[in-house]
Amino acid sequence: MQAFDDAGIRVYALSYDEQAALADFADAYNISYTFLSDSTSKVIRQFGILNTIIAEDDHPWFGIPYPGTYLLDAEGTITHKFFENNLAVRVGPEQLLRAFRGETFATQKHLPLDNVPAEVTATVFLDGEAMALSVQRELVAQLTVPLGSHVYASPAPKGIVAVDIEVDANPLLVLRDIVRPPSETHSLSGTAETFQVHHGQLALRLPVTINGMVTGAGNNNEIVIAGTVRWQSCDDEVCDLPGEYRFEIKVPVEAPVIPQIRVPDAERTIEPRAGEHFQHMVNRHKESS
Amino acid sequence: MKVEVETTARKTENGWADQDGFVGPFRPGNGPRNDPRGDFPTGPEVGEKMPNVQCRDSRGQTFDLHADRGNTPALFMFFRSAVW
Repeated sequence: MQAFDDAGIRVYALSYDEQAALADFADAYNISYTFLSDSTSKVIRQFGILNTIIAEDDHPWFGIPYPGTYLLDAEGTITHKFFENNLAVRVGPEQLLRAFRGETFATQKHLPLDNVPAEVTATVFLDGEAMALSVQRELVAQLTVPLGSHVYASPAPKGIVAVDIEVDANPLLVLRDIVRPPSETHSLSGTAETFQVHHGQLALRLPVTINGMVTGAGNNNEIVIAGTVRWQSCDDEVCDLPGEYRFEIKVPVEAPVIPQIRVPDAERTIEPRAGEHFQHMVNRHKESS
Repeated sequence: MKVEVETTARKTENGWADQDGFVGPFRPGNGPRNDPRGDFPTGPEVGEKMPNVQCRDSRGQTFDLHADRGNTPALFMFFRSAVW
């Protein structure tokens, strides 16, 4: 949240919860941004995002939106929006801040002449301090390609390895499609053949989210994300053998925010009225129908 | 827009896994776990002016989005619930 304050961005969060339930939640977790109560789902309907696959008589779930986030510029124009089919995935703060800064989702720039590696180098890092339940973060593979050489974009010509990130099979991770930098068209001198390639420095970003079972098992406070970055580089005369870089990153897993309603009454300390709020939510629909 | 519900589910020892492998206590297609399959409405589009939002905040104060943010960029999130 500090990062949003520093960037001068106001943050609002709206749900169909009652005011008191939101106030208790904000107090329990020390949340400073503005919570808005839309207990009759009026605003949610105005936006046309009421979840209508939940039956109207399905208390107390009916009334929720398809969750999502809009980013607004100073004039109030929507510059980005993020909606996910899977409720267990939501875009992380790093991705939102990058969107605010107007950064494209993948970068590529040409190298300064005084910093030219002799061969392709690769590093991998997580954009974010930790993994948290449902919060999407990005695994970033950064490659530097020597001057005069290129690596092949995906899809690569037959027999050539495209630049890629492969994460080792891990049931604790859910992966989305890799976000790739724009490629450039390269034509081989003396032929009519063209390929899509990358030059200089480039970054591939792979959205990753941890699966509920990590924390469901209750005994994981870190996760190892391992895998391989692959590429093949060529210059105008010769192609190198495919290259690869193995990575193994240990990432802390934050304790999940478990809805207090799922905690037994006697153990419920940070939000003691959670049960009442839930009961009220059930009752208000009964009353209105 | 006719929205379809995603019901792909697999039982695991920790709960129900959905089509992406996420595990949770509700079977996909039930209760709060009603995910859309394919297209679903996502409201106003990028490039449009954000519709104004008028309601009450969690302290019971009246709220008007565009008045509150003035000329400040903003992030506006619709989420499911802080209760469950």
